[in-house]
Amino acid sequence: MRLTLAFHPVSEIRFGAGTRLDGSVLMVDKDELYRLILQDPRIESADFEIARPGESCRAGPVFDIVEPRAKELGGSPDWPGVLGAPLTTGSGTTHVLQGMAVTSLREQSPGESRGATGYILEMSGEAAAGSHYSTLHHLIIVPHTNADLAAHSRHNAYRLAQLKVAVQLARTAFTSRPATTEVLENSLNHDRADLPRFAYVGQIFSRQRKPEAEESVLYGADTDGMLPTLLHPNEWLDGAVLPSYHVSLGGAETYFYQNHPVISALYRRHQARELNFAGTVATVASADNLDRERSTRFAANLVKWALKADAAVLTKYGGGVPHSDLSETARLLECDGIKTSVQVTDLARDHRVESALLFNYPEVDAIVCIGGNSTAWKLPPVSRVIAANSGLAELLAGPFEINSLNVVGVANQQGASRLRSMIY
Amino acid sequence: MRVVHYLNQFFAGLGGEEHAGAPLEARAGATGPGKLLEPLLGDEAQIVVTLVCGDNHAVENQQVFIAAALEKIREAKAELFIAGPCFLAGRYGMAAGALCSAVQAEIAIPVITGMARENPGADLYREPLYIVDSGENAAKMREVLVRMARLARKLLDHEPIGLPEEEGYIARGLIRDQFVEKTSGERLVEMALAKVRGERFESEMPRTAFAPVPMAPAVKDLRKAKVMLITDGGLVPKGNPDKIEGSAATRWGAYSLKDCTDLKGENYEISHGGYDPQFVRQDPDRLVPLDVMRELESEGMIGELCEQFLSTSGLANPLSNTRRIGREMAEKAKSLGIEAIILTST
Repeated sequence: MRLTLAFHPVSEIRFGAGTRLDGSVLMVDKDELYRLILQDPRIESADFEIARPGESCRAGPVFDIVEPRAKELGGSPDWPGVLGAPLTTGSGTTHVLQGMAVTSLREQSPGESRGATGYILEMSGEAAAGSHYSTLHHLIIVPHTNADLAAHSRHNAYRLAQLKVAVQLARTAFTSRPATTEVLENSLNHDRADLPRFAYVGQIFSRQRKPEAEESVLYGADTDGMLPTLLHPNEWLDGAVLPSYHVSLGGAETYFYQNHPVISALYRRHQARELNFAGTVATVASADNLDRERSTRFAANLVKWALKADAAVLTKYGGGVPHSDLSETARLLECDGIKTSVQVTDLARDHRVESALLFNYPEVDAIVCIGGNSTAWKLPPVSRVIAANSGLAELLAGPFEINSLNVVGVANQQGASRLRSMIY
Repeated sequence: MRVVHYLNQFFAGLGGEEHAGAPLEARAGATGPGKLLEPLLGDEAQIVVTLVCGDNHAVENQQVFIAAALEKIREAKAELFIAGPCFLAGRYGMAAGALCSAVQAEIAIPVITGMARENPGADLYREPLYIVDSGENAAKMREVLVRMARLARKLLDHEPIGLPEEEGYIARGLIRDQFVEKTSGERLVEMALAKVRGERFESEMPRTAFAPVPMAPAVKDLRKAKVMLITDGGLVPKGNPDKIEGSAATRWGAYSLKDCTDLKGENYEISHGGYDPQFVRQDPDRLVPLDVMRELESEGMIGELCEQFLSTSGLANPLSNTRRIGREMAEKAKSLGIEAIILTST
């Protein structure tokens, strides 16, 4: 499978008549996007805002962050299973507006238990330095949906609007010459036989919660009843996977599926002939022990028999239960002689090493630990707060203290985090 | 700057084991290793008092010893307290650790001590204190004092303290965050690659080993046993009277089941942020199976069901909380004469 990414750098977003890409300036016609979004009767109105890197600006709560990408016509549909038929993605040419994102906000605070502000986007200052998102130009959609909507329907409206806008913007690049291109292919030529075969096992959902109705996670499917499945690395990058609607299962945004740090790292090492990137398994964290036995064994067996891997790297999705599934899958792989490394979040609210892990397997001894629990920032007032209503704007006005877990991108679990737990 | 230094009988020059019973004494000025230490702390530093005590005396009369030592340290108007280094001397390490902890907690001035990793005092006091890793060899006294003095200066000047390997102290077993150059995805792949190549790699989190929990003896006769239900699924009466937190709970509650055969959703709520509570909300018996327990009770399979169930929230809860909660719940169960407990989780 061969995917060509055609990169069109964007150095500025401007509002104006006629959406188009003018060199590296993206002109955005608000009316045009407005009409596109309002095709969905669930959305009553919407505002669009631009946030620039380094600007004294804060937005939230963030629903999702998406990089504008569009498939060249004739290939698989954009966002298969969501905006089109669920056909296999990952080949052909995809145009990318690089250096920007389409970011959609929520209209409600997620509530106190996870921090009333929800995930916020911070464009300047100390907190922003910890997140890749502060380096991007954001076109922010502030949706106003029908007040009577059920939560799942509201979320679905956000998702569709955001993906449609992102695709529409990226299509402006079809007629431009890309600044750079990248070909992604994990072919295993005959002369690579000596290199170790690597697999990536990535959780994409956790069954701690039932998926919401109309929740689109894998090719539009909500993962209910899903067993671990093989995905080509390119499928992750090219629109097969979307994050859950649910805020508590945080640490993943669409942007870092499209720019998957683990898959990118494996591709780089593949191209440097340090390893063979054999493929990936998408899996979900389980609801109970039987589910866990079934799911972790299926995942490990795919790595062993289908991908014939010598090594696997694993990431989780969400909190503690996914931690158990992650470590059990790694343990099963190690028992089969497959070397593993796992990425966990720091669960130690008391900052003690003894509380950090939920497993105790001698075999699972290569652990990357994203911190987050002992970093908080006092956020100052900013010049511009972008939120869906005045109540939320007041909540985000600052100064207030925020845990790093609630600054979007900082404790990302898809491999983008630069946070590390240090033991002292 | 006024410094108080603590030494045992041996390092103060009183003598060996035969003087281990020597009571606490306060000497003016620096003694023994203190004479080496004083210039290392900087020009303005002065060891005003050296406290000396025999190891046996300090350990066997710990409370009295600490109270007396604290008084002398206060009298000396100390701004810094240094103990040892103790190397591998176990009782010396225990006394130095206990004293440093007390000074830090009650006088709130910087404290530093030094010990070998294997010193039992290091095990007990590594978490609250910066203990410089002295190794076992007392011939390295000067080297150890240099590191203790450097760390003491940093504490005094409120400078950030580096990692154990940089500063030479024994890891406290605590976690703090740091931003690093490489993303976690790069670190993850790098680690697996090193592992598959058989190269050295550094896990970012060590494995934690816990002492096995011995299994309780079997219930002699379930038909006569008083059985209790405990859950960590966060079921609480409406209004959450004990204010049990939905995450990292520090509290738990005991709630009446008297004259009740079936829990009704309208009387309860769930304080737990880690699972989908809609099914328990519909019927709390799904979490706290009162209905079935009442049947078993009337069938005579169990003696009786305790008239209270205990509840807390088991989400993202560190061991320092859960150990205490578990202990308190066990005490409660014991006081009620409970012989068997069914724990239900989510």
